[in-house]
Amino acid sequence: MTWLAFALSLLAFACFGFATDDHHHRLTGRRLAPDSKLRWQAYAWFALMGAFGTAVASRGWAFGPVLWLGAVMLSAGIVFLSLNLRPQRGRGTRQ
Amino acid sequence: MSKSIRQSQSTLHTWSGLLLGWVLFLVFLTGTIAFWREALNRYMRPELARIEQPMRVLDGAQRFLGRKAPDAKGWFIAMPNAAMPGAQVTWQPQPKKGEHGGRRGGGGRGRRDNQALIGADGMPKHARDTRGGEFFYRFHFDLYYLPVIWSRWLVGVAAVMMLVAILTGIVTHKKIFRDFFALRRHKGQRSWLDGHNATAVLALPFHLMITYTGIVTLMALLMPWATVANYADETRMFADLFPEAPVVERTGRPAPILSLSAIAQDAERRLGGPIGTIQVSEPGDAAARVTFYRTPASLLNTRAPAITYDGTTATPVWRSPAPGGAAATAGVMIGLHAGRFADLLLRWLYFLCGIAGTLMVASGLVLWTVKRREKLPDPTRPHVGFRMVERFNVAVIGGFPLGIAGLFWANRLLPVAMPDRSRWEVHVLFLVWGAAFIPSLVGRPAKVWTILFGLTGAALAALPIYNLLNTRWNAWTSLLAGDLLPLGIDATMIVFAIAFLWLARRVARYRPAVRATRRARAAAIPMSEMEVMA
Repeated sequence: MTWLAFALSLLAFACFGFATDDHHHRLTGRRLAPDSKLRWQAYAWFALMGAFGTAVASRGWAFGPVLWLGAVMLSAGIVFLSLNLRPQRGRGTRQ
Repeated sequence: MSKSIRQSQSTLHTWSGLLLGWVLFLVFLTGTIAFWREALNRYMRPELARIEQPMRVLDGAQRFLGRKAPDAKGWFIAMPNAAMPGAQVTWQPQPKKGEHGGRRGGGGRGRRDNQALIGADGMPKHARDTRGGEFFYRFHFDLYYLPVIWSRWLVGVAAVMMLVAILTGIVTHKKIFRDFFALRRHKGQRSWLDGHNATAVLALPFHLMITYTGIVTLMALLMPWATVANYADETRMFADLFPEAPVVERTGRPAPILSLSAIAQDAERRLGGPIGTIQVSEPGDAAARVTFYRTPASLLNTRAPAITYDGTTATPVWRSPAPGGAAATAGVMIGLHAGRFADLLLRWLYFLCGIAGTLMVASGLVLWTVKRREKLPDPTRPHVGFRMVERFNVAVIGGFPLGIAGLFWANRLLPVAMPDRSRWEVHVLFLVWGAAFIPSLVGRPAKVWTILFGLTGAALAALPIYNLLNTRWNAWTSLLAGDLLPLGIDATMIVFAIAFLWLARRVARYRPAVRATRRARAAAIPMSEMEVMA
């Protein structure tokens, strides 16, 4: 159950990340239409709520929300790093 | 109108972050390490075996205290678990008439003579004299060398500034939620700003929680008026906050005390969770009382319930009343801050968030110089305030981690028989840090950053290797025994070593762009440290 909470919040932030204009363009090569952006964000919020329910179900009302916040922060961090720290082509740093 | 509000918030953010920023860096870093307080207590006493059976250790502690201090005023036993080096026991002798705290000038010394560490086999152990992880925990709010009360005021004010900086930061960097996933790399100031925002926003719930609850731990000091208005006598406030069983008088009739481990099992059932600490008053007397406190490791509220037994009949005589709303709120907030309830998974999350907070403070401090460098009238000769901030950043952000690496090395290398050994471990930290201050203040910042980060990385990388060769519990033996704590800490040291060496390499290899305009060129020359995080 704990891992399900992590998986769901990771999924949520993957959706959030996919719904940002720049990253979407870089990943798919296409512009993000406004209504599909909203759709991705709605998926993300659903997954986040699911993660909250799962966390509370696995750890109870005292520790569940703490676990959920932890999962949210960790997933946000993982998605952030994996979106940004991929090797960038043709962008040498050494001048 | 809205622009002026944002500007005023920005000014407040800049200066509340800068003024006590270096204190905040120290507090954040040591607090982050202190999440591994118990693990470090064990790691820094590698001669001790792991606790397998806590109740066996408790029996050993009782045997030891029964021999050593049969007619003491009280015993105090901290129940061990697998993360601890052993059971710490303390005893308080019967006060004699006309005696004032033992030998001359030795209040602390006397206390130290009245304590022992009971190891996994139930026998008293003599480990190297070290403060272990306790140092980081105490330094986090008491600092060191300074009088405790000053330190707490300083840390308390810094924490309030931190809260101001976080709240104004949300307003100032208003795009943090829209640009949630943005990190523009290799773009100088832009990259620094994105990095600062990322460490802040990714762990924002943690930063808000830890700062606010941190202030709550110091609330009686920072805002004493509520207690002053309600309690003329401070002892009555403590009695309300930390209720205790009624004190018993010694009868003088000797009576053997029952097995503590047997009563402990009953107490664990009644309290609904494992025992954290045990307090025995008047052991060996017919009036003996035994109080068990539930460990806060199983509760969100750090103020754990207690139960008191008659020591000769093992019948419960007193239970702590249910805490009031305010006390429970404060207890839960402090519990959230200290994370004592956290299992390994949550503890790692706390640790990672703490690192994010430390990086947020550090990148904020560096950002102050990065933003101002381009606006300097003559960047080759910055004004004195700028130089001070730049050099203090090197000395604190670069120097203090090196001091911590020095502490870990002192823990391994100082001779075991050295008098005041545990204090010297800490002195080494400050000596190393002090030594790092000198080049930071006189040297070229770009070079000193490289040297300090490189040294820290090398020192941390060499530690696991030294452990492998010279320490009883190292990565290899811990793997064989299935006891992953030493391996975990060694692996973490290596990860940090790699990070520091990578930082050093980034700074050393950085060549600022040579551009045609005089302004850009001049701005770039002393900027070597700028793109490290990018």
